[in-house]
Amino acid sequence: MAIEISDNARAWIERNGGVLSVRLSSRHGCCGGGADIAVAEARTPSDLTHYRELDLDGLKLFIEPALIDQGLIVEVEGLLGLKHLFVDGSPIARRRD
Amino acid sequence: MTALQDSQSPSTSEGMGLFERFLSIWVALAIVAGVLLGQFAPAVPETLSRFEVAQVSIPVAILIWAMIFPMMAQIDFAAVLGVRRQPKGLIITTSVNWLIKPFTMFAIAWFFLMVLFRPFIPEELARQYLAGAILLGAAPCTAMVFVWSYLTRGDAAYTLVQVSLNDLIMLFAFAPIVVLLLGISNIQVPWDTVALSVFLYIVIPLAAGYLTRRTLIARKGAEWYDNVFMKRVGPITPIGLIITLVLLFAFQGDVIIANPLHIVLIAIPLIIQTVLIFFIAYGWAKAWRVPHNVAAPGAMIGASNFFELAVAAAIALFGLQSGAALATVVGVLVEVPLMLALVRIANKTRHHFPAASEARG
Repeated sequence: MAIEISDNARAWIERNGGVLSVRLSSRHGCCGGGADIAVAEARTPSDLTHYRELDLDGLKLFIEPALIDQGLIVEVEGLLGLKHLFVDGSPIARRRD
Repeated sequence: MTALQDSQSPSTSEGMGLFERFLSIWVALAIVAGVLLGQFAPAVPETLSRFEVAQVSIPVAILIWAMIFPMMAQIDFAAVLGVRRQPKGLIITTSVNWLIKPFTMFAIAWFFLMVLFRPFIPEELARQYLAGAILLGAAPCTAMVFVWSYLTRGDAAYTLVQVSLNDLIMLFAFAPIVVLLLGISNIQVPWDTVALSVFLYIVIPLAAGYLTRRTLIARKGAEWYDNVFMKRVGPITPIGLIITLVLLFAFQGDVIIANPLHIVLIAIPLIIQTVLIFFIAYGWAKAWRVPHNVAAPGAMIGASNFFELAVAAAIALFGLQSGAALATVVGVLVEVPLMLALVRIANKTRHHFPAASEARG
């Protein structure tokens, strides 16, 4: 499977348009350098060229190729208006540009 | 398991920028440049130091904001909602950071600087160095943690939550801890001065970073923010750091020339403290059977310091000429080589910990 989505996350994504994007987000060190963490958002990416588009049982998934089949799980957490998606099971990575 | 998860740890310095990797060398060069500037062109730092409002040096404040703002602008406070995840790791690192580390730093620095090195350092100067060490011990690392976590194959979600949590706690705990430990050390700092430095160098950059992040992500999107804005803003930190250090050492020249050994004497307790804290957190994690991908970043988070904040607070509370400011810079000088050594230890001892999959059951 490209990526696993929990039932709660799926329901939340469906309520928010049925689109999921999963990408690497850079976190900078204080003096240069840095690392990337996997993040999930319920929206279509602005630039689709860096993503693979997949259908995930009715959900439209845009995912960075490096994150496919990594055993990652998308979950949702928080309450009411503070709910947000997160990616579980990912080590901190380094994007190979 | 997958290719990404099974891959070996990155080489020790992979993921570190050129500046970061050789930070000790740049700091040493900044010390030399600053001392030379102070000795041969003292008018430059003296003129800059005159631009003050309410006893706050405006050039220094700008430099410090330049150092700290980029780090604050990448904090994802929504991540704090994940505190229920990895509870053991969060308990260990939060306890170590806020209930153990400031106090062991105080005890170790006091013993070395005020007792063991008494014959080599005048008492008043030793007290100033102790103040610098206290400021370092009260400020846990934030931005560099992602690099240390990457180098030890740390759990991304845990690291993100812990960093956000530390930044929130720092807002409330930094000032009381600093005032308490400085008071125990007989170093009188008025509460309003501490409050002002917290407001200037934590609250303002944190609020500015949060508002910038929210506004720009709403307007331009999260990818643009991560890939364009943060890449442009990121290099401001090292520039601010180096110019601050040059300015600081332009005022410290006489102390350094008269007592170069002091840098070594200050470094000794700081190194011992860092290694001790690493092993406390790492050992605790092992005893609780925390998986390595949480234990290692947890210990790295505990061991490392938010040295930019410590430098800023030392300058705000005691001035550019102070021994406290010098001590915080020694923290910068030893940070990277020391943390890289701890990364090696963490990676070599991975097999003593359960893997993430075992911990999940």
